[in-house]
Amino acid sequence: MAAQIRVHTAKRSSPQRKETHGLGLAILFVLPAAVLVLTLMYYPMIRTFYESLFSTSFLNPTPEYIGLQRYSDMLHDSDFWQIVQNSLVWTISVVLFQNVFGVLTALLLNQNLPGKSLMRGIVLLPWVLPGIVAALLWRFMYDPQLGLINSILISLGVTTQKTAWLAEPGMAMVAVIVAAVWKGFPFSTVIYLAALQGVDQQQIEAAQIDGANAVQRFFRVVIPSISGIIRLNLLLTTVFTFNYFDMIWVTTRGGPLDSTHIFPTIIYEYGFGKFKFGDAAAYGVVAVLILSVFALLYLYELRESIRGRAS
Amino acid sequence: MKRIGLMLLIVILAIPVLGNVGAQGDDVVTLTFWDNQQTESGLSAYQQAAVDEFEAAYPNIKIDVVTVPYTEYQDRLILAVQGGNAPDISTVDQIWNPAFAVAGAVMPLDDYIANSETVAEDAFFPGAWQSAMWDNQVWGIPFNVDVWQFSFYNKALFEAAGVDPESITTWDGLKAAAEALTDPDAGQYGVGLFGFPNESIVVVVDSFIFSNGGAVLHEDGSCALDEPESVEALNYLVSLIPYAPEGLLNTKNEDIRQLFLNGSVGIEWWPALEQPTLQSSELDWGFVAGTAPEGKTPVGTYGGWNLVIYDQSQHKEEAWKFIEFLTSKDVNGKVVDLIPANIEAAQSFLAENREGADMILEHLNNAQPRPLSPNYLELSDIEQQMIQSIFSGAAVEDAVADACSQINDLG
Amino acid sequence: MSVAAYQRPRQRLVRNITLIALEILLALIVLLPFFWMFSVSIKPANEPFAIPARLWPDHPTLENYQNAFYPEFRRYFLNSIVVSLATTTISLSVGLLAAYSFSRFQIRALSALLVLIILAQMFPVSAMIIPIYKIMRDLHMLDTYPALILAYLTLTLPVSIWMLRSFMENIPLDLEEAATVDGATRLQAFVRVVVPLARPGIVATGVWIIVVTWQEFLFALAFTSSRSMRTLPIGMNDFIGQYGIRYGELMASSVMVSVPVIVLFMFLQRYFVAGMTAGATKG
Repeated sequence: MAAQIRVHTAKRSSPQRKETHGLGLAILFVLPAAVLVLTLMYYPMIRTFYESLFSTSFLNPTPEYIGLQRYSDMLHDSDFWQIVQNSLVWTISVVLFQNVFGVLTALLLNQNLPGKSLMRGIVLLPWVLPGIVAALLWRFMYDPQLGLINSILISLGVTTQKTAWLAEPGMAMVAVIVAAVWKGFPFSTVIYLAALQGVDQQQIEAAQIDGANAVQRFFRVVIPSISGIIRLNLLLTTVFTFNYFDMIWVTTRGGPLDSTHIFPTIIYEYGFGKFKFGDAAAYGVVAVLILSVFALLYLYELRESIRGRAS
Repeated sequence: MKRIGLMLLIVILAIPVLGNVGAQGDDVVTLTFWDNQQTESGLSAYQQAAVDEFEAAYPNIKIDVVTVPYTEYQDRLILAVQGGNAPDISTVDQIWNPAFAVAGAVMPLDDYIANSETVAEDAFFPGAWQSAMWDNQVWGIPFNVDVWQFSFYNKALFEAAGVDPESITTWDGLKAAAEALTDPDAGQYGVGLFGFPNESIVVVVDSFIFSNGGAVLHEDGSCALDEPESVEALNYLVSLIPYAPEGLLNTKNEDIRQLFLNGSVGIEWWPALEQPTLQSSELDWGFVAGTAPEGKTPVGTYGGWNLVIYDQSQHKEEAWKFIEFLTSKDVNGKVVDLIPANIEAAQSFLAENREGADMILEHLNNAQPRPLSPNYLELSDIEQQMIQSIFSGAAVEDAVADACSQINDLG
Repeated sequence: MSVAAYQRPRQRLVRNITLIALEILLALIVLLPFFWMFSVSIKPANEPFAIPARLWPDHPTLENYQNAFYPEFRRYFLNSIVVSLATTTISLSVGLLAAYSFSRFQIRALSALLVLIILAQMFPVSAMIIPIYKIMRDLHMLDTYPALILAYLTLTLPVSIWMLRSFMENIPLDLEEAATVDGATRLQAFVRVVVPLARPGIVATGVWIIVVTWQEFLFALAFTSSRSMRTLPIGMNDFIGQYGIRYGELMASSVMVSVPVIVLFMFLQRYFVAGMTAGATKG
């Protein structure tokens, strides 16, 4: 459907061209952005890496150089691997469900149903709700005694037991993932709703005439034509989710038994909870390294667009 | 577009005006004082009244009081100290004081104390004074104190079950009462045990260990959690789990409070500061001091805050004057929401504001501090993990052995 | 023939009922936590929480709203509005200029810069707080609006540039050239031709920025200290003490914090989806 817009544009005017001169103006225009990104993002990140090479902590005002010692210690630390594992489980599950749910709700809201436009607004509410509030709200909903979830399940007769959703290691991860998906899926819904507008109706009708049912049409026509956006959104939500701090910090603080600790929460705990800045910095650097794997995929997805071969 | 441009212009013009707060005259010294608020007492209003009084007595000193919510207090202080932007004076939790001393963030106060007419060691609760000591120097002046824990109980539930509330000061009595009060089918739980990984569970567990004659660390600083007294106390707490609400590992003490207030829990554990909350509820409640094995005295865990002067401060002399003022017997009781650390102030504060003043004072005097160590926060984290694994079914012996090996590695 | 004619409307009916049921289910899933939030916000402070949980308190009251809307809280509102609007304005202005450059000039250094900007999105905020804090201190900006606005730009600028650039790529170069032929400078052409055409994209990006900055927590915690500079997400900590949460006031304040963004969103939702369509379908 990317082609749709472009064809449309092309009909209106001549194809997009790029200039290779006018360097002065180009520099002038990107300068503010470049200065901000370099001083407030790259410089702090480089400082963080630098700090991780020293025995920096609150208790140690005159840190010594320890090189990569911290990183080699981490590789032999079972807690570190637990964090890596939790982060992967968390990120992959949240991203997967958020996107699947996002596509499904987008498909639903793309139908001609009563109250469609109201629903398109309602569905966005969780995304607009401040993250801290969402997290407090979910911790409260999960409360075994006072929470709404157990009350509903018990009154529906689904269960008679009061489940302690956030208090058992395996279950707690599931519970925070559900809360994060609730908070995050609307963004995917909007993106996919937008993408669906570009799906070629003629292709769908053609498939229909060929006897394809709704499910077949979905997989043969709809998915392929929005696959570019799906890949892009998967990567974007991956980055957001990997660095998503509020939900876990407020609901479980990484517990029970560290079973929900992920990179952003452990970084915060080391830095501010235990005064160990160097360890926080090292975890921060490793987080960037892990994310850069995704970043490479992301850039690969965007390579055409970055090179500027529009149309 | 024009409107956006105009808005941008307004914002840019407004920035210097709004950003430039706090410019002062030449000869007036402005001190920044940070504190956090633990309860809902409207403390900052009282503090402001005291500050006005101080400013009237010292016209050349102005005090800028910054009240920071508890949840963000530690983070903000660390950032400010680390960023070279510390206040002149602040309260610090007793358990942070040694770390702040070792880090060089705060200054030793011995010289000031030696020349002071009002601040002297014997004016304060001994446990509180101790908590400000590190390396034979004094790094803070006790501001307020409290003790974990008192057992608050629901009178109606106790009467219905025919249990004598006084019986819950012994281990056997507490367990028997908890059992009698528990009926999970009716949503009734005997005791509000909790296990969310934060400092509250550490102070409760410590008090059970102290009450059994145990300790967290030996005199030489090595781990004492694997000693029989500690193991016994931990096993005892495990035996209470069947009488506590589900979901121990994610339950905070404030979650328990909600269940206590709606009558689902018979006993909850808090410092004396819980009284105002209960007084404003419609519940009929009573309280006793701690729980110990038969024949032993319940020993609580000390908590509280000290006043420190930051090394970065440009106005240390003036800061000291303000500390002398805040901790004096006439003022201390007006500016705290726990219990004043000044003993004389505490006596009148308790008589005025708390029920069972004598019981509270006695429990305070018996209380023991948590280990005084710059590494305390790490030590506490190890203890929290140990408690979580014990509460989730790990054998106590294995968990304490594991915790002790980590604690002894801290050095 | 007759069978098919008979079945088709029936199938359609079944299908429509299923879809409407799904729609209602979706609404329930989304709205249930909001009902709960509202219900707690109108519960009197001394009414204990019921077991099992109830969606409507015995004695609903608006007292929590009155208590929560105290003078400091009004100030937090003002701060949040100023910081959000300023960040949005600057992010859009700087972003538009940069996006224009990225979409109009084919220079290798620019592509490299774009890659750097995209990569910057990966950096974890919690690891960068202390270094950024030190920069703000050296600039004497701590506890001021500019500190927050600058910090928020790091969150919003990369995505803004990326989104705006997608929209710009769709604006044909010819239109600007026509304007230049008519005697406008390049800058005038940018302001008069490109910016108006990019308006849907600007609205969509702006809404995204407001939603992000309105709920930002960590930077606001780190770079403000005095009460008069705090923003709403931080201000809500006022209801969370060391020993207990004032749930009623917290939830009342949550409702008040959420409503402005929700209302704004309801108004701009159409543009947002439209804007996203143009942006998303590119790339």
